[in-house]
Amino acid sequence: MTTPLHGGPPRIAPALLRVGLALVVIYGAIGAGLAWWQVVEAERLTVDPGNPLIAGAEQGGRRGSIVDARGVVLVESVLGGDGTYRRSYPHPEAEPLLGYISPRFGSAGLERAYAAQLLGVADATGDTGLLRKFRSEPFMAQDVRLSLDLRLQKAAMVLLRGHRGAIVAIEPSTGRILALASSPSFDADRIVEPGTGDTYFAALLARPSEESALLDRATLGQYTPGSVLKMVTAVAGLGSGRVTAHTTFPDQPAEEDGGFLVNGYRVIDGHHAATGARALDLVGAVEVSCNIWFAHAGLDVGADQLLRWGAQLGFGDAIPFDVPTAASSLDGGDGFVDDVELANAAYGQGQTTATPLQMALVAATIANGGTLMRPHVVDSLVDAAGHVTAMTPEVWRRILDAGQARVLEEAMRQAVEGPLGRHFAGGAKVPGVPTAGKSGTAQLGGDSEPHGWFIGFAPAERPRIAIAVLIEHGGSSSASAVPMAGSLMATWLGLAP
Amino acid sequence: MSTAPGAATTVRSAGGRRPRLRRREATLLGAVAVALTFGWISLASSQAGRATIGDPTPLVIFFVLVGAAHLALTWWGRRTDQILLPAAALLMGLSLLLMTRLPQDTVVQAIGPLRLRLAELQLVWIALSLAAATLIAVGLRNDIWLRTYKYSWAAGGIVLLALVFLFGEETNGARLTLRLGPLAGQPSELLKIVLVVFVAAYLADDRALLAGRDTRLGPLRLPPLAYLLPLLAMWGIALAIVVVQRDLGAALLFYAVFLVLLWVATQRHRDLVLGLLLFVVGAVILDVLFPHVRERVAIWLDPFASAQGTGFQVVRGLFALGRGGVLGTGLGAGLPGVGGAPSIPAVHTDFIFDALGEELGLAGALAVLGVYLVIAERGLRIASAAGDDFRALLATGLTLVVVLQAAIIVAGNAKLIPLTGVTLPFVSYGGSSLLANGIVLGLLLALGEGRLGAPRAETLTRRERLGDAAHALGDRVERAIT
Repeated sequence: MTTPLHGGPPRIAPALLRVGLALVVIYGAIGAGLAWWQVVEAERLTVDPGNPLIAGAEQGGRRGSIVDARGVVLVESVLGGDGTYRRSYPHPEAEPLLGYISPRFGSAGLERAYAAQLLGVADATGDTGLLRKFRSEPFMAQDVRLSLDLRLQKAAMVLLRGHRGAIVAIEPSTGRILALASSPSFDADRIVEPGTGDTYFAALLARPSEESALLDRATLGQYTPGSVLKMVTAVAGLGSGRVTAHTTFPDQPAEEDGGFLVNGYRVIDGHHAATGARALDLVGAVEVSCNIWFAHAGLDVGADQLLRWGAQLGFGDAIPFDVPTAASSLDGGDGFVDDVELANAAYGQGQTTATPLQMALVAATIANGGTLMRPHVVDSLVDAAGHVTAMTPEVWRRILDAGQARVLEEAMRQAVEGPLGRHFAGGAKVPGVPTAGKSGTAQLGGDSEPHGWFIGFAPAERPRIAIAVLIEHGGSSSASAVPMAGSLMATWLGLAP
Repeated sequence: MSTAPGAATTVRSAGGRRPRLRRREATLLGAVAVALTFGWISLASSQAGRATIGDPTPLVIFFVLVGAAHLALTWWGRRTDQILLPAAALLMGLSLLLMTRLPQDTVVQAIGPLRLRLAELQLVWIALSLAAATLIAVGLRNDIWLRTYKYSWAAGGIVLLALVFLFGEETNGARLTLRLGPLAGQPSELLKIVLVVFVAAYLADDRALLAGRDTRLGPLRLPPLAYLLPLLAMWGIALAIVVVQRDLGAALLFYAVFLVLLWVATQRHRDLVLGLLLFVVGAVILDVLFPHVRERVAIWLDPFASAQGTGFQVVRGLFALGRGGVLGTGLGAGLPGVGGAPSIPAVHTDFIFDALGEELGLAGALAVLGVYLVIAERGLRIASAAGDDFRALLATGLTLVVVLQAAIIVAGNAKLIPLTGVTLPFVSYGGSSLLANGIVLGLLLALGEGRLGAPRAETLTRRERLGDAAHALGDRVERAIT
């Protein structure tokens, strides 16, 4: 090593120490990054349905069963004559929620979303990795118990027979899904049957998309909501304080005849019973489903507040749930282009879309005193050793206070039972039980028949069931969705008195 | 260090040395052999479903190869570092285990009548790599030919690069492979060594002359032109590699190694800052102009958004890491693939670390990272003990080529930086990569040899006269370039 001259270049050796330290820091960061994936995220990665581990475990062993709230087996693995397990689906009424698993056609529904739990790749006991390799049976299959009640689910499917549509029933105080029906549906047994599976699945795929039986309309169908969306505007109005129970719009009675002119676009009310010169308040506007009142209210609430409170209820993003869901939207995802779109959205037209699950959550929020529980259909996981992992009810969002929720409950009760409301939604009344609800007939433009909607809950004071019913192109809701909802709520109150 | 005139009589022959025991190396190699034997038994037992050692032939051949390298260093009396060889042997041995464990038909190559498959081929490359390392460590008598002909090296490197630009074949969207008859290789692996030689020689030469002379550009004070020009040239070459070869990994590696060497040579933080600024500017330009760069960044930000498309490989790699957990599934118990296809595309090359993380867990992954840090420590130690600036910079650069490349690919596998396809040194499958890293290992061992020196004029042999002729030719080339 040459001795550095005064003012010459610096010695190299000390710099190398710093290079070494920098390398230690870099490698330390990489080690931390690996620990992130291999410890913190390991569980989430391992239960991802796309993980080939799932497909690998599939070939190896038995999957757990899926049972309903009372233990009725909905899906199970049956040992065939050749020593291999075959999936059996005795209750096609619960499709497409349950889904299917087929080596040829992949998987869907809960069979896909809960593959890791059913296979035991994710463990009820929680030891997901550390010592598993020392066990002789590395995976312990778990049964998935649902909150769904097969009796109510069957009743919902009977109601939907011959229609395209969906019904979601939910326990408002817990967020437990009681029924989640979509029609038309399919028979998973025929998909997994080796002999007929190919032709059956090909026929399912060959259907035009609007008649798809594989699509779960309850969670993935995006429909124009029409008047049921007024409850979202009402929540936004009360929540933001821009609207109160006593808000009236002086011009509204006059505009019932001539229409309400927004930027040159005329909002009209064609159909509600004459309320004369009376300026409607919130309860009255819900009872007669007054488009003009809600157009005014929407403009007063404003785009920002409407979107903000809509987002609180779940709009704008896919709702976190046990199976994939589609996002509902108030503005088509691109904001309100002008006041005309905002005014139209406020009563459920414009660019609004909603899934039946989303609208059921709106009803459940009002039913539960303004608190939205996180919806779930999987109640617990049970492994062969009897370990139970329960999904406890969880508050998702506190949206309104109890007083505000009571105003909306009263409004929805008037919509079903009030002297003017009962003309539209009286069919949803559960005999002998105070019933609340809101009907909707979503205009689709052109010649197509409107979608029929109903959201509601019963009993009105201490609700045990909240519901959303959608009938595609069902025409006036009074004829389709409304009486179905009444019938199903009555069924549930009869089953679970 | 041939010092005293009488020294020539104490050595057995010109350039020869007395055998010297290398006890530490022997001990460490023994430990490596024990670890690998356990690994082999674990792998064979897991695959067979009962306790067995399987067919240990490849492992035994590997032990013989490493043992031969150790004996050669011992026989010719090398005093050089005793830890680098065991560290590299551990990595190569792990590589052999992993290649034995992966689906053998991943790579099949016919050599004459022989039809070799993944593990057998890898054993061949390991043999070549160890042979190169040993030959250089034992045979390199002086480094004159490295330091004197730096422009020739640089020119050779650029020609190599140009050949790849013109005739290269694409692998995975990057133009990397040069094919010559039955032989195919990835020249960028060799190019990185050539580049380090050039940069070390260049910086060492100009260091003494240029310390502290700034280039002034208006109000800006920039590094001396002698540093600024190569900095800009290197930046341009790195950009060109990305644009033409689409080889982000090599570009990143070359630039990073160069920048660290520049800083080590000048030790002026301004140079480092300027280099990093240029890097950021280059990265932004590439991101804006080139879709293939943008795609890599998009995959990096959210591979799960395209889990069935462009992000497939990265997502599958992360799944493997997740499956491994802390202790791993055990060798042979991970997921080779479902339905015959490897569960991660390119698992034997770019994604070998994720396979390692799956089967050996976080514990094994950290241990392997630790081995690279050991290599870094030994390499930098050789550099700081080196006899002059050129050797110090060369040893530093060679060390960085190994450990920064490992850092780049592991960080890419773990989604800490955008994925760039480079190999994991000594572990990934591939002849070019193993050969290049074998050369690096050999050079480091040679540089660690205290007696490495200039040739003694009085003991010119015929062979050395031949060497002189070659030097003369080199001189002519050198003059033509400069």
